[in-house]
Amino acid sequence: MADRPATAGIEKAGDDRMIVADDVVKSFGHFQALKGISMALNKAETVVIVGPSGSGKSTFIRTINRLERHDAGRIFVDGIELTDDIRNIAQIRSEIGMVFQSFNLFPHLTVLQNIGLAPRNVRRWPKKKAEEKVMQLLERVGIPEQAHKYPAELSGGQQQRVAIARALAMEPKIMLFDEPTSALDPEMIKEVLDVIEELAESGMTMIVVSHEIGFARHVADRVMLFDDGLLIEEAPPNRFFDDPQHERTKRFLSQIL
Amino acid sequence: MSGAGPKGPRLGLGLSEDVDLLRFEQQARDVEAAPGPGPATPGEWIRQNLFSGPVNALLTLASGTFVLFVAYQILSFVFVSAEWEVVQVGMRGYMIGGFPVDEAWRVWASAYLVIVLAGLSYGVSARRLRPSAGQAAVGAVVVAVAGTIVFFTAQTVLVRALTAGVAPAVLAGALVGRLFGRKILRPLIVAWVLVFPAIMIVVRGFDGVPPSEWEGLFFNIVAATVGIVASFPLGLLLALGRRSELPAVRVVSVGLIELFRGVPLVAWLIFSKFVVDLVLPPQMVIPDIVKAFVAMTLFSAAYVGEIVRGGLQGVPAGQYEAARALGLSTTRMMALIVLPQALRSTIPAMISHFISLFKDTSLFVAIEVTDLLAAARRSASSLQYFGRDMETLLFAGLIFWAVAFSMSRWSQRLEVRLGVGRR
Repeated sequence: MADRPATAGIEKAGDDRMIVADDVVKSFGHFQALKGISMALNKAETVVIVGPSGSGKSTFIRTINRLERHDAGRIFVDGIELTDDIRNIAQIRSEIGMVFQSFNLFPHLTVLQNIGLAPRNVRRWPKKKAEEKVMQLLERVGIPEQAHKYPAELSGGQQQRVAIARALAMEPKIMLFDEPTSALDPEMIKEVLDVIEELAESGMTMIVVSHEIGFARHVADRVMLFDDGLLIEEAPPNRFFDDPQHERTKRFLSQIL
Repeated sequence: MSGAGPKGPRLGLGLSEDVDLLRFEQQARDVEAAPGPGPATPGEWIRQNLFSGPVNALLTLASGTFVLFVAYQILSFVFVSAEWEVVQVGMRGYMIGGFPVDEAWRVWASAYLVIVLAGLSYGVSARRLRPSAGQAAVGAVVVAVAGTIVFFTAQTVLVRALTAGVAPAVLAGALVGRLFGRKILRPLIVAWVLVFPAIMIVVRGFDGVPPSEWEGLFFNIVAATVGIVASFPLGLLLALGRRSELPAVRVVSVGLIELFRGVPLVAWLIFSKFVVDLVLPPQMVIPDIVKAFVAMTLFSAAYVGEIVRGGLQGVPAGQYEAARALGLSTTRMMALIVLPQALRSTIPAMISHFISLFKDTSLFVAIEVTDLLAAARRSASSLQYFGRDMETLLFAGLIFWAVAFSMSRWSQRLEVRLGVGRR
């Protein structure tokens, strides 16, 4: 697409770009979900992706941690290219935390076990260390008193905050949020966005797929519009919302504002 | 708000609908909070539930007559015309068949091992699940019936005492279990895992009794246990194999499932006895019973595999994605996230299958094993008690039912305990 970032020299250490996507293509059968996405994400940067449903924004962030395999193009995470090698995939996944629209907490495990599972089993931390980390994260997302409950006993907002804590427990360098507030009742959206905002301020590198315009304006360093598998426009939030360049962006904004 | 009452016109639009909904919820809550209206008298209850209209009344009369007739027939047989002596004489045969009498202590020891463990387990878990009044009533009836049967059938004082000792043993186990509580949960689980090998040693070891002489109910229970314990992990593998990404594994799993499920169990048993030797090298001699156990295990594993596959399909894709996104390996994802959820949802189907398998152990009669049912039929064909099939079959049926019912109850307890935190 238009302004492709220079992919030369990505392998070199000391690069500040945490994610580089170069002409990424993905199809489901005859449907082409991604038609060549190129973008780069710098360290400690927060990018919010907006766009109509079916525009490929969720598919794109799912290719970054290999929940979907891209058909063509290249993806680099922290300087490592994403390949078919299982070990490579495991390594990249352990650097990326992901939060889903429908939380996807493990219903048969308590909050404590949900969050501690990956540190214990993937990072091989001893039980005590993992539990300390869990409690510290629960403090951070504001629900330490829920540690011994099951997901079904929590509100949607609390569940999503547990899901964020679960992703953070692996101490990832990058966080991906796939419409984290779309499944929430309106009064619970703010408590989740507050946690994400705090995370952005702490210097986490993040991609957030979201329709929360107020949040995007406030938290994003850059906003991107996806449509029909293409990256249409990217700009800092003020320019993106107040002075969009592309016709498609203007139309999209007029529909949702 | 106007016109939004329960009987008012419903516009099906905006506000009035919302208000209606609120009001409906409020009503629902009121109904829940209020003590059930209930009929005033038993007579009224009967009128409301059984004679609410002419058709209903006719159905009530017809089915009532039929039920009373059947009940009368059965009760008059059981208490008047039946001659239970045949059951009394045949009791040992029903329980252990031709198992040598001098070695019967081995079976008793095994039974007590299981009974005490069951009591302990009950004591440990009963902390949170006290028996309700209904359960207590059922328990009392069971004890009364069992007590009566024992009293009239036991042939020696020792057997009478050992049978009567079951209740105190369970109770003692339960009390000890309650005393220690969850502290002994881990040793208890280990004990359950070890109890079957232990029983095999008690029965078989130290100049014990070979499997070819295991008969009666003892055989049914041992065979069912072997089938359940061995087919569960095998079925798990078949289910996972059927969903494997490797085509070869998938084809083999599907093939095994279809092959073993597609032929009657009784045919597999006969096949195992008479045909398998053709393909084995002549110097390799495997006891018939072992071959039959293998056949039964494979047959059962095919069913377990399909049950587990159903459970796996019930686990949402999001669970796999969340596990993968956290970096869990496929093995850990299956063991820690997917299977625990899949297996819990299969408990009812799985227990149904295992109950079925237990009853199907009667089919071993096809390879000349005298199980409980065969022993019951045999005792009614002796010269002295010829033609007393009703008594013996009723009794055998009662025993089968009692064991199956216990399995069913146990599975419900399991469901309640594992149901915590379900969504």
